[in-house]
Amino acid sequence: MLKRSLKTAVVMCTLSIALTATAQAGTLENLERERSTTINYFLDANMEPNERLARVEASKRRLLDMERMVLRDKSLRGKSTPVVRRAFSNYDVTFLAHAATEKDLSMVDNWLEQFDVSTDALMAAKVGRR
Amino acid sequence: MTRTPSSQTRCAFAAVLLAATVLSAPPALASQINWSPQSSERLVKLPPSYLKKSLDHDFQKSSLGEALSTTEENISLKGATLSDLQDAIASSDGDVRLELRHQFLGEKRAYLDMMSERNALRRQQLETKRRLFEDMLAHLARDEDLSPAAQELIKNQDAAAERFERTYADVDRKFFTSTMATESRYAQQFNQNLQAIEQLVARIESHKMSAAPTAEDDLPMTRKEHLRRLSADVQAELSIIEQEETMLGYMAKLVALDAMALAEDGMDAELADSDAARTLQPAKSVSFFLDN
Repeated sequence: MLKRSLKTAVVMCTLSIALTATAQAGTLENLERERSTTINYFLDANMEPNERLARVEASKRRLLDMERMVLRDKSLRGKSTPVVRRAFSNYDVTFLAHAATEKDLSMVDNWLEQFDVSTDALMAAKVGRR
Repeated sequence: MTRTPSSQTRCAFAAVLLAATVLSAPPALASQINWSPQSSERLVKLPPSYLKKSLDHDFQKSSLGEALSTTEENISLKGATLSDLQDAIASSDGDVRLELRHQFLGEKRAYLDMMSERNALRRQQLETKRRLFEDMLAHLARDEDLSPAAQELIKNQDAAAERFERTYADVDRKFFTSTMATESRYAQQFNQNLQAIEQLVARIESHKMSAAPTAEDDLPMTRKEHLRRLSADVQAELSIIEQEETMLGYMAKLVALDAMALAEDGMDAELADSDAARTLQPAKSVSFFLDN
């Protein structure tokens, strides 16, 4: 009886360890893909402004979810790969939707701000020859 | 009761033989008896309160555990035999007493052999346990020994988590008021599950098996501190075994001395009964020369 209960306990312990160690693979990869698509919308010169706005808004909603999945993904903690290190080195770039909403900026403005480019600076810029 | 010379000689010879062997007998230990627990990831992650029980259970199932258990049982039986013999010696005399004393010595020697074997088995168990705890500590140290890049990453991850938690509600409010959007399926499901998870986590934290081990002063110990404490306990037990071995050495010495005393008693009795010529002192034969 004792032997059986101990065996059960060991099995259950192993099971719980295995379950807690299960990694949510691919959260960061999914986010990177969605972010890349969103940035393509920012930069696509052939897209109409209304279409761009609609697409970016739809992306923002998906990004919010995906960013939360990454931020809650315990399997990424301390996972020192170049992709993970780069992702967490700049919150404002990786977690674009959260950072922009937090700062009351549009995603494109927040993104450009990370590279020291603002909408005002762009508007004030003059086309010229060097 | 009279002692026959043959039984006295036999007892004396046996006692001398016993005295010679009692100090030189090595503990009998089969090399195939072992216990080999592995410092696995599973073992390192076991709840501290369960770790000791799990190891004890694993040990009991091993060949070393079974051998130790059998030896303990034999020692207990041998102790009862010694006690019976001691009582029998006290109530006997003559040849029977001599035979019983001889038997008592033999049993004492067997008892010491068993104790010695038990200590060797216990030493093997404790050395294995000590090595295991050292491996587990090394395992933990490896996990904690992070490269500067990994340390930097964890710092950034902590900062990101802190910023997210701080702004989470604010971001939700701004997003939903600006877009009139409803919560996504993920967000709805997540919030629903979160409450259940919080209840489960609270239950886990209050569960007796996940309680952190505490020191004498009731302060909680980390996993590393707990392992160090277990390792120190093993070291203390090893020191006690060393002391017990010294004690067994003294007991063996006493058995050898008793055996020599028994041999001497036998020889004295034999000499007293023998017809061997005694050396006469000249002074005692003076009377032969004083009268014609």
